[in-house]
Amino acid sequence: MAAPAEVIPRRPTLLLIVVLSLLFVLMSVSSHTRYVGETRTLFERTVMTIFSPVPKTVNWIGQAASDMYHGYLDMRRAVNENLLLHRKLADLTAENLKLSQSQTDLQRLRSLMGYSEQFALKTSLAHAIMLDTGSRFKSIIIDRGSSNGVEVNDAIVNANGLIGRVVLTTNDLAKVQLISDNNCSVGALIERTRRQGVVRGDGGTAAQMFDVPSLADVQPGDQVLTAGIDGIYPKGIPIGTIVRAERGQELFKSIWVKPAVDYGTIEEVIVIHTRKVPNDVVRYAP
Amino acid sequence: MRWLRFLVGLLIALTLHSLLLSFFPNALAFFNPYVILVVYYSMGGNVLGAIIAGVIAGLVDDAFSGAMFGLHAFALTVCAYAVAYVNSRLALRGTLAFGACLAGAVIVNELVIFILVNILQRQKIELFNQSLLFKTIFTLLFGMLLYQLLTLFLREEPIEATKRPAGW
Repeated sequence: MAAPAEVIPRRPTLLLIVVLSLLFVLMSVSSHTRYVGETRTLFERTVMTIFSPVPKTVNWIGQAASDMYHGYLDMRRAVNENLLLHRKLADLTAENLKLSQSQTDLQRLRSLMGYSEQFALKTSLAHAIMLDTGSRFKSIIIDRGSSNGVEVNDAIVNANGLIGRVVLTTNDLAKVQLISDNNCSVGALIERTRRQGVVRGDGGTAAQMFDVPSLADVQPGDQVLTAGIDGIYPKGIPIGTIVRAERGQELFKSIWVKPAVDYGTIEEVIVIHTRKVPNDVVRYAP
Repeated sequence: MRWLRFLVGLLIALTLHSLLLSFFPNALAFFNPYVILVVYYSMGGNVLGAIIAGVIAGLVDDAFSGAMFGLHAFALTVCAYAVAYVNSRLALRGTLAFGACLAGAVIVNELVIFILVNILQRQKIELFNQSLLFKTIFTLLFGMLLYQLLTLFLREEPIEATKRPAGW
């Protein structure tokens, strides 16, 4: 049997009153517990426990998103920093190379200057700007010419030894004939025995020493110096080391000399402004 | 099924609640997602269901807010009952009707809270008028937008949007 129609609407109202009353009591309890210091009732704690995964999840997602965002920002910052550091590293590496090169140059120049001070003659420093050591005629070009006081027959040396002599000058440049050239002759002596001879280039990378008697005491390893008797090269400049000495077919020995200078590594050179022998003297020379 | 939908709605409301508290601590002074949920549910006209929905949503709101436990449950239950009762008589449909119910519910909700706080804690709520105004406007705008989206894009109808006699 169906319930009377006028009864049905009263039931929700009754329920509403009951629910509101219960809630009012709950509020009162809650209010009281707050007053005495307890902040959460058991019921409140239960509701929180049931629904706590939602705020936790939201917080976790928010934290993860925040971490990702900040991680991304940190990564961008790190990438930019990495680029800057790479650039700085490249700059510092270049600077380091430059400084290292400067140090090497300084050492070499100090060595050269120290060497040049040995000579009583006037000297000047020059840079080899062209090296022609591969062709038949061995020569180099230096960046000092007649305007710098460089003259034909000036001797060219570096810290290792004799390089050659000036054969041509322009205002700004000078051509130097190497001692390994076929047409170059240098008055020389063997340091150990003071035996004199003439060193001539063999057209390759070495030279030969002539006019040394067969009976002379010559050993491989002997140092060969300039003799200072040709009017061009001052005395005592290292020319090279004897690598082979044989009895020749005639009265003289066949001697091979390895030059003291590696011509492929010439950079700075010393120009020795040698005293020129007056033409009148040359005319009466033997 | 309707309770499942209500539960999903409640979880979304709680998520919004948590998000707002996390990023905009004062946002809940201008916006109440639980009222939207309860009004949306109560528009079906099921008074009993509306009361239960109001109690549950209110308790969840209370559990995660600083108010005394039961305050929001009380207020939301009153709102839910009122909306459901009106809809059981008039069967209101459409965005405007929803908006009107929502606006009324927000005002009733705030008034009930105001009265209860005055009675139980003898405290005055600061800037009540301004808070009421902003909360009504923002909750109304968001609620109507949500309602429009649900009805237009998801072809959603208010829960229990069928004509039924008043009461259960």
